[in-house]
Amino acid sequence: MKPAPTLSSAFLHPAGQTLPEPLLALRKQRASALVDMPLPTRKTENWKYSSKYLKLSDDMAISLPAEGKAGASLAIPGYKVVFTNGVMIPEASEYPDLDGISIQSFSDLSADEAQSLSLQLGSTLNHEQAQFARVNGARFEDGLLIRLKPGAVLDQPLFIIHNTEADASGSAYPRIYVEAGANSQMTLVEEYTSNGGAAVLVNTVTEFNLADGANITSIRLNMEGEQVQHIGATGVLQAQSSRFESHCVGFGGQLRRHDLQVRLEGEGAETKLNGVVVTQGKQHYDNHTSIDHVAAHCTSEETYRNIAADQSHAIFNGRIHIHQDAQKSSADMNNKNLLLNNGAEIDTKPELEIYADDVKCAHGATIGQLDETSLFYLVSRGIGRREANVLLTMAFINELVNQIPVQAVRETAQLRLNDFFEQTFQEI
Amino acid sequence: MATTDKEVKELIKREYEHGFVTEIESDTFEPGLNEDVIRRLSELKQEPEFMLEWRLKAYRRWLEMDEPEWAHVDFPKVDYNAISYYSAPKKKEDMPQSLDEVDPELLRTYEKLGIPLHERAKLAGVAVDAVFDSVSVATTFKEPLEKAGVIFCPISEAVQKYPELVKKYLGSVVPAGDNYFAALNSAVFSDGSFVYIPKGVRCPMELSTYFRINAANTGQFERTLIIAEEGSYVSYLEGCTAPMRDENQLHAAVVELVILDDAQIKYSTVQNWYPGDENGKGGIYNFVTKRAACIGKNAKVSWTQVETGSAITWKYPSCVLRGENSVGEFYSVALTHNFQQADTGTKMIHLGKNTKSTIISKGISAGRSSNAYRGLVKFGPGADGARNFTQCDSLLIGDRCGAHTFPYIESKNKSAIVEHEATTSKVSDEQMFLCRQRGIDPEQAVSMIVNGFCKEVFKELPMEFAVEAGKLLEVSLEGSVG
Repeated sequence: MKPAPTLSSAFLHPAGQTLPEPLLALRKQRASALVDMPLPTRKTENWKYSSKYLKLSDDMAISLPAEGKAGASLAIPGYKVVFTNGVMIPEASEYPDLDGISIQSFSDLSADEAQSLSLQLGSTLNHEQAQFARVNGARFEDGLLIRLKPGAVLDQPLFIIHNTEADASGSAYPRIYVEAGANSQMTLVEEYTSNGGAAVLVNTVTEFNLADGANITSIRLNMEGEQVQHIGATGVLQAQSSRFESHCVGFGGQLRRHDLQVRLEGEGAETKLNGVVVTQGKQHYDNHTSIDHVAAHCTSEETYRNIAADQSHAIFNGRIHIHQDAQKSSADMNNKNLLLNNGAEIDTKPELEIYADDVKCAHGATIGQLDETSLFYLVSRGIGRREANVLLTMAFINELVNQIPVQAVRETAQLRLNDFFEQTFQEI
Repeated sequence: MATTDKEVKELIKREYEHGFVTEIESDTFEPGLNEDVIRRLSELKQEPEFMLEWRLKAYRRWLEMDEPEWAHVDFPKVDYNAISYYSAPKKKEDMPQSLDEVDPELLRTYEKLGIPLHERAKLAGVAVDAVFDSVSVATTFKEPLEKAGVIFCPISEAVQKYPELVKKYLGSVVPAGDNYFAALNSAVFSDGSFVYIPKGVRCPMELSTYFRINAANTGQFERTLIIAEEGSYVSYLEGCTAPMRDENQLHAAVVELVILDDAQIKYSTVQNWYPGDENGKGGIYNFVTKRAACIGKNAKVSWTQVETGSAITWKYPSCVLRGENSVGEFYSVALTHNFQQADTGTKMIHLGKNTKSTIISKGISAGRSSNAYRGLVKFGPGADGARNFTQCDSLLIGDRCGAHTFPYIESKNKSAIVEHEATTSKVSDEQMFLCRQRGIDPEQAVSMIVNGFCKEVFKELPMEFAVEAGKLLEVSLEGSVG
C-alpha cells in the first residue's frame, strides 16, 4: 500500500511576526504538532467525496502578502471590518467605539489579553473532524477578537469582508473569535471574496462562544473565485438559554469546504442552521455540519438545500449527536437537493447518533429534479419553459434566502443566484 | 413504573433458550490458519482443483487486507489463529442417506431448537438443509424438489456435482477480495447451501436452512449461493442459533444471490445467535456479507431480516440493480439488548433504468446496547427514472442505549428520485397509559407497541417465520421495560 500523503512541511512556517508574544508561542506549538499531518484521502470518512478536489502544492504554502485593494465594493448598511489575505486593514474598516463592545485585531492585543485569548483559541472545535482548523491554528497571521460584555447589543450588523488577493499562488488564514457575554446580541456577516486567478488556499476559522442567554446571528456568504480552494471551519459553544442562528450561502469553486460544529452545552439552548449551495460547471461544494446536544432541553433545527448543475458536485453531511442524559432534546434536520443535469452529482449523509431515550429526532433527505407536474402547470398558463424552470428553482431556495435577516446580503445573494439561473437555464 | 422493576429483574435473568451444548463426537481441526489448513480442508471435502486455487487466492488476498474499523461497534480484536476452521460431527460410517440415519443426538438438538426435522418438513412443507457447525447434516425433501428440477443441496456437494454452475457463479456477486470477512470466508468456507431454480420454475415449497454453531472455539463460515434462472421464483428462509459460551465465536458468512430476467428471490432470515450474557460476556460475532445481483430485466429480490441475536452484528444485505426495471427490497427489524451491538443496513446500487428500491428498517435498542442503521443508496449515471424510498425508524427503551442512523445517498442521475426519512422515538407515555388504562400489563403493552412498530416488516415474512419472529421479539424484549 502507498503511504498516506502528509501535509508538506512547507505549510509549517508561518509568516507575519506582528502578533503578540503569547499568540506567536501558541502558533509555534501548534505548528510542531502538525508534522506529518495526514492529508485526507478517499478513505478519510469526512473527506470521502472531497479529497480529490484538494490540490495543495508547495507554492500555495506561501503566505499571501497583506496588501492590495481594499476590496468589497459592497455598500454596507452596518459596521465593517476588512481583511486582506487574512490580515486586518484598519484604514478600510469602519466601526464605532461602542460601550460594552470591543472589536480588536489580534495584533493590537495587549500581552495579557493575548494570553487569555491563546487559552481559548480552538476550544470550540473538534479538530478530529475539522483537520484543517489545526493548520489555521499554526498559520494565522492576524485575526479579529470581538467581545460583547453582558447585556451589550450591537445595533447594526457587523460585516467582516475577507478578501483574497490572488495574483500569485499562496494561502491566507483568516481567524475570528467572538466572545458573547450573557444576554448580549449581535449579527455578524462574513463575506469571502477574491481577486485574481491564481490557485490559492483560504483556510478560515471562526469561533463563537455564547454565554447564558446570548443571541448571535451569523451569516456567511461565500463568493470567492473559481481557483480558490476554501476550507473553513466554524465552531459554536452555547451556554444555557443562548440562541444561535446561522445562514450560509455558498457558490461553488475548485474546492469549497465548510465545517460547522455546534455544541449545545447549557439547558434550553437553541440553534438554527440554514444553508443554500449552488454549483455549476465543474464546481464543488461540501458542507459538513454537526450538532452536539450535550445538555437536556435543547432544540436544533437545520435546513440545507443544494442545487447542482452541469458537472458539478454538491455534498451535504449533517450529524446530530444526542449525548447521554440530554433528555427532552428536539432535533430536526432536513436536506433537499436538486440535481439539474446528468453528470452532476449530489451526495448527502444525514446522520443521527442518539444516546438518550426521551428525545424527538427526525431527519429527511431527498434528491430529485424539478417536479414535472408543476412545470406543466406553469407552462400551460403561458409561462415559457425556461422561465418556469427558473421560477421553480428559485422557489426551491428562496424559502431559505428570504429568511436571511440582513437585506444587503439577501440582495447580493439574489444577484448571484440570478447569474446562476441565466447561465444554467440558457439553452432551454 | 415501580411495579415492573421486580418483573424486570426477574426477566432480565431469563437465560438464552437455545444455549445448550450437544455432546457429540466431532472432527475438529487444530486452531490456526495457514495454506496447509486450507489444503487439508479442500482435500477433506474432495474438492476439484479449481476450488482449492480459488480458496488459496482468496487467502492470499485476505493476508494483505486490513480488518475494517469503520463500523459503529467496539470489540477486542479477533485472533484468527485461535479459531478452528473446521468442525464436523464425526460420522460413524458414511454420510447419512436419509433422516433415519442421522445421528439421533443431533436430531434431538434440532428438536430442542423447535425444529423437529420430520415434523416441520411434513407439516410446513419446508425443505430444510441444516448446517451444524460446518457441514450440512441432512437435507429433507430432496425428492419433490428434484422432480421440479430444483437443486437444493449442500454447497460442498454442488462443488462436486455441478462444478460448472459453481465455477460460473461463485464469487460473481461477492468477489473473493470484496472485503475482509468475505475474503476470509472464501478461503475457509466449509459448507452452506446451494440452490438452483431452473428457467420458469416456481419452487414448489419454501426452502429453509438452519445454522447452529456447536463446538467451542470454532468459527462458522458458511456460504450460500442461490441462482434463479429466467422467470423462476423461490422463497428461502434461514435461521441461526448457537450454544452459550463465555468466549466469543466468529461467524463470517457470505450469501450470493443471482437473479436473471423476470425471476424473483425472497430471502428471509431470523437470526438468533447467542447474544452474550447480561454483562456482555460471550456471544457470537456475526460478520456477514450478503448481496444480490439483479442481472436480468424485471428481476426482483427481497431481503427480510429479523435480527435479535449476536453480540455484534455487522451485516448489510445489498442489491445490485443492474437489469432494467429490477426491484430491490429490504425489510429489517434489528433488536439489541444488554451489551449487544448491531451495525446493519443495506446497499441499493441502482445501475439500470427504472430500477426501484424500498428500504424499511426498524431498530429497537434496549439496555446498554447500540443499534445502528448504515445504508447506501446510489444512482449511477444510467439509472434513468430510478426510484428509492427509505424509512428508518428507531425505538429506544431505556436511557443507556444508543440508536444511530448513517445513511449515504449518492446520485448521479437527474431523473432519479430518492426520499429518505428517519425518526427516533421512545415508547410514549401516552401509548403506555392507554394500554394500562385498559388493563394490559406494562410488559405486554410494550410488546404490543413494539410489534406494531415492526408490523411493516413482519408482514413480509413467510407465515411460520412471522409467528416465530414475533415470539422471539417478545422474549428478547422481556425485562427491558422500566
